[in-house]
Amino acid sequence: MNPEEQLKVQALLDGELPEREAREILSWTQRDSAAAGLLAELKNTRQALAQSGPRAGLPESREFFWSKIEREIQRLEPQVTPRPKASLAAVLRRWFLPAAAVGLAIAGVAAYFHGRTAPVEALMDAGAPVVETMLADADATIYRDVREGTTLVWFSPAAAGDPVRNPKPNAVN
Amino acid sequence: MNHSSADDEALVKAARQGDLAAFEELVFRHRDSLYARALSLTRHEQDAVDLSQEAWVKGWQRLAQFQGESRFATWMTRIVINLCLDHLRRQKRHRTDSIEELEEERGGVERHMPVVNLNPTAGLERAELRKKIDAALGQLTPEHRTVLVLHEFEDMDYKAIAKTVGCSLGTVMSRLYYARRKMAALLASAREES
Repeated sequence: MNPEEQLKVQALLDGELPEREAREILSWTQRDSAAAGLLAELKNTRQALAQSGPRAGLPESREFFWSKIEREIQRLEPQVTPRPKASLAAVLRRWFLPAAAVGLAIAGVAAYFHGRTAPVEALMDAGAPVVETMLADADATIYRDVREGTTLVWFSPAAAGDPVRNPKPNAVN
Repeated sequence: MNHSSADDEALVKAARQGDLAAFEELVFRHRDSLYARALSLTRHEQDAVDLSQEAWVKGWQRLAQFQGESRFATWMTRIVINLCLDHLRRQKRHRTDSIEELEEERGGVERHMPVVNLNPTAGLERAELRKKIDAALGQLTPEHRTVLVLHEFEDMDYKAIAKTVGCSLGTVMSRLYYARRKMAALLASAREES
């Protein structure tokens, strides 16, 4: 058997021959004992390998092996290594919690300053003099002193000669 | 998404969108088979660990290129095979071939080998068979072992092997023939010894 014939026997086993040639070689192996012996040996070897494919397990723990891969990925792609997609809850936590915190802070500051401004009625009850801006359209300001029993009304400056809008205090008792 | 119950396709989709946890699950599922393939080609435990790790990193980087024409595991196996072949080529540059290896490369040795008439592995326990085959694979040159592994374990045809390895069809056929015949002889002698 020459080298070419040997390789043809192997190609027959591997299904690599065209149909017509495969029939010819098969027929030849049935007539020639050396060819038949070679075909049988090649078949046995192939069968043995098929039965025992390499099945080695990685000799490292899952965590250790993965940590090396993860580190390498992050080293190679530090800026583009994407993170897992955020869930809806995570989005809410990310955007709404800070917004709510800012809102609460604003409300707190407003409440603080509002608390420092005593209502007019409370001041009047305490007998303190009160200045009120009233009748904004008419530019009038009222000074009222409960203890003294005095109320003064100012009208803001107006065109000259307008007696109504002249800023002269008028006593009203 | 529950990663452990998701199929590979869903995990690949999630990993493509940047879900590293999904990719970790894929690594967990296929790490052993990738390592086994690297080990069968390199015959060196630490090299096989390093090369399979490198393959996973490359897999992550090239996820966008995976179009699903083959199974994810098959696609990853191709990556590790290519890395192993590059590794073996680099090693070969630094290796001085023995006279026997040069003779093997020319394909002259196998012509003189007697045909093994009996099935040398018949009646062996699976574990014992695996051990013997593993030992015999270790005695082949990287070139012959590569062709044998790609053909027998990866179901590649001659043309695909030639393309992967970067050699002619004739060389693939010759190396495969030699590798098989040498395996048969090694298994037969191992059986005689035991």
